[in-house]
Amino acid sequence: MSLNYCEILRMQNIVKEFSGTRVLDEVDFDVRGGEVHAIIGENGAGKSTLMNVLAGRFDDYRGSIRFDGRDVRICNPRQARDMGIAIIYQELNVLPNFTVAENIMLGDEKAMRWIRKMDRTSISDEASKAIKYLRFDLDPDEPLSRLSKARQCLVEIAGAVRRNVKLLVFDEPTASLGSEDIDKLFQVIKDLRNKGLAIVYISHRLGELPRIADRVTVLRDGKAVGTKSISECEISDLTRMMLGHDLGEIFPEKKNRPGKTILKVNALSSPGVFENISFELRAGEILGIAGLVGSGRTEIVRAIFGADKASGKVEFRGKPIPVRSPNLCCSLGIGMVPENRKLEGNITGRPVCENLNISILERLSGAFGFQSPRRLASRAQCMIERMSVDPPDLKMEIQSLSGGNQQKVIVGRWLAADSNVIIFDEPTQGIDVGTKAQMYRLIMDLACEGKAIILISSELIEISKLADRILIIRNGRLVREMPETETDEDELFAECARKDKG
Amino acid sequence: MSKDANNPGAGGNRRTLSFKRLQQASILILLAVLCAFASFRSPTFFSWTNLVDNLLTNAAALGIIAVGMTFVMIAGGFDLSVASNTAVCSVVLVLTMDSLSSYGAVVAISAALLLTTLVGISLGAINGVLIARVGVNPFVVTLSTMLVFRGIALILTRGGQAKQVADIALRNKFNWIYDAQIPIFGQSYQISMPIVIFLLVFGIGTYLLRFTRFGHYIFAIGGNEEAAWLAGVNTHRIKMISYMLCGLTCAIAAAIFLAMTATAQAESHMGKELDVIASVIVGGTPLGGGSGGLTATLTGVLLLRVIDNLLTQFSVGAEYRKVVTGLIIVIVVTVDVLAKGRSRK
Repeated sequence: MSLNYCEILRMQNIVKEFSGTRVLDEVDFDVRGGEVHAIIGENGAGKSTLMNVLAGRFDDYRGSIRFDGRDVRICNPRQARDMGIAIIYQELNVLPNFTVAENIMLGDEKAMRWIRKMDRTSISDEASKAIKYLRFDLDPDEPLSRLSKARQCLVEIAGAVRRNVKLLVFDEPTASLGSEDIDKLFQVIKDLRNKGLAIVYISHRLGELPRIADRVTVLRDGKAVGTKSISECEISDLTRMMLGHDLGEIFPEKKNRPGKTILKVNALSSPGVFENISFELRAGEILGIAGLVGSGRTEIVRAIFGADKASGKVEFRGKPIPVRSPNLCCSLGIGMVPENRKLEGNITGRPVCENLNISILERLSGAFGFQSPRRLASRAQCMIERMSVDPPDLKMEIQSLSGGNQQKVIVGRWLAADSNVIIFDEPTQGIDVGTKAQMYRLIMDLACEGKAIILISSELIEISKLADRILIIRNGRLVREMPETETDEDELFAECARKDKG
Repeated sequence: MSKDANNPGAGGNRRTLSFKRLQQASILILLAVLCAFASFRSPTFFSWTNLVDNLLTNAAALGIIAVGMTFVMIAGGFDLSVASNTAVCSVVLVLTMDSLSSYGAVVAISAALLLTTLVGISLGAINGVLIARVGVNPFVVTLSTMLVFRGIALILTRGGQAKQVADIALRNKFNWIYDAQIPIFGQSYQISMPIVIFLLVFGIGTYLLRFTRFGHYIFAIGGNEEAAWLAGVNTHRIKMISYMLCGLTCAIAAAIFLAMTATAQAESHMGKELDVIASVIVGGTPLGGGSGGLTATLTGVLLLRVIDNLLTQFSVGAEYRKVVTGLIIVIVVTVDVLAKGRSRK
């Protein structure tokens, strides 16, 4: 926009490898003061890694960085921060046990000369000054754990601005915010830009870019595939650059036929998390659940699967089942592919074979709990072929597979268990486009076979393209059921992020 | 942004906070009830001799280590090696005093105290390097150093002989650390030296934790180490110092123990590290850190001592005392877990 501002940052030929895998491949990137430069790309395209290089998290990247007129090498967070770089992560880096003022001033507390007494008044004074300068509505003495996520984000911004940052990076800040909070955040970002700051805005939500960005750089598979001024490009161009091909080729044709009701959820509630959730799921149906991160969508399916406590009734094939434990659901034929693959899905350190069979061991065990290794291996082999896990090696430890192949193993676990209902919570998080397309085809195939599918995703396009019906969850309540597919991504997002009346 | 906390978590947090206070209060109430019960059943409980001479003096040495442990645990760490460290320190004290006894009591005692302090801090620093710099899990590190330090104490005493300072005059001078009585209300109300030392350590500890930047960062690291690191806090150094402080408190406690028993044994204080950790946890500093404090630790130390004292007064056997102490720890920590609503099947 304002051409009179000079270049703040220029990164050239940045390369970063993780145990031999190239995550960033000769990436060039630059930002000017008074500009919002967006970085977009699929999960795993290297957006966050690029910013982590800037944050000083790695000391083994290659390439050159020029910041504020000087050539620099950023080796640790302290150095990045002293230079004037601040990053607002999606998972906010705040101290829940500290007050707003203490969080804003963290790392710059002053101490008296001899007795080393920390100056608490200057902490709240300087924090108040920063809050006033930004015209934020925050109470410096409030404990951070009482603030909503949006307001915690403001605290982080205030902390960064107080330190005279020159470059402020936002890493997917809108993923868990409602639309009103997003409007306010955008206003804040524009104000900061008008003060002359250089701003990097990372997102995978293309729809919001025209509202906020001046320029856009697209990353794909660790490479920068292009930089464009937002005024001279179409969203569809960006999509193509981001995915490498058109959207249409990725999603399979819808050909599943929903049949009889198999799962019925009635007035499922968990105080403070979600309330009065009722819906039905039919065999051969794909039911999408859309909502913001933190809306309660994950908690709802976890409750159905028996992983969290909740009140209410769940009927499976017309018979009420006690919502008690994953163990029970598993034996009935309900499976869940959890949101966090690393923490909740993988049995890390164990081979693929065991990871595939873990849910059926109870069913397969013979006398004295004997497990026939040959039978287990042959079942796993079968599943690996069906899921086309690559490399097809039963003995490999699961964490050494790529993200997409790990996910295939987790899905295979429930196919091996002959589940009739499979819950997918963010199944395509952090996996590449090719595997995503396979995953979509697999979900569609399962539905065609008559399995009932519940699909949760932040990538609303997945839901709008795959689901037969869509439930909108907002603040723990089921606010709307949208039939059939005639909704597009933007409409869905507007519905999820809308502010509740009253 | 919108003032109403949209996420359901916000309400939950407020509930947790008030529960947290409830837990603190419940310990104090428990302490008060126990004391009331004790004074009702046993007239000697509230006597100066029992409360100050017996209960507090006995609690002082472990209480001092608990102060150091509180720093480590608020920062999210853990130290199993404190009892072994203390054993090494008391052996070093005796050995140095013995070898320097010809230079006179002042030189021998001050040199021994200085050297022991350095030893205590250095052993703590070994833990600190492995945990803070190398990044090994604190449980594993201090479990190993617990064994290593104990072994060192055994080697120094040639396989566990009880060591005494040979020079009786020197020994008696050193015992001043335990025997000295400081009158506060005339001759009948005196407090012993260990209590004075404890109050000093507690006071300095409280100052460090509550009023200095170092203490502020201890809480920051326990709350979210990554955030503190990214904010430019030198988390490695702060953690390192916390383990060194803990080692220092071991050295101080060793001096008190030695003055009390006059002998240093390589196998003394075995299992006491768990008593120390227990009093810190019972006080309200959670495993994992981020909250808690020294006042909390003080209530924890007192609670466990009062229970022990009570059971001794009723001549309950040591085996039952262990059962009761164990149960109290489980109950207090269970209340904490329930209060945080983490109970998941």
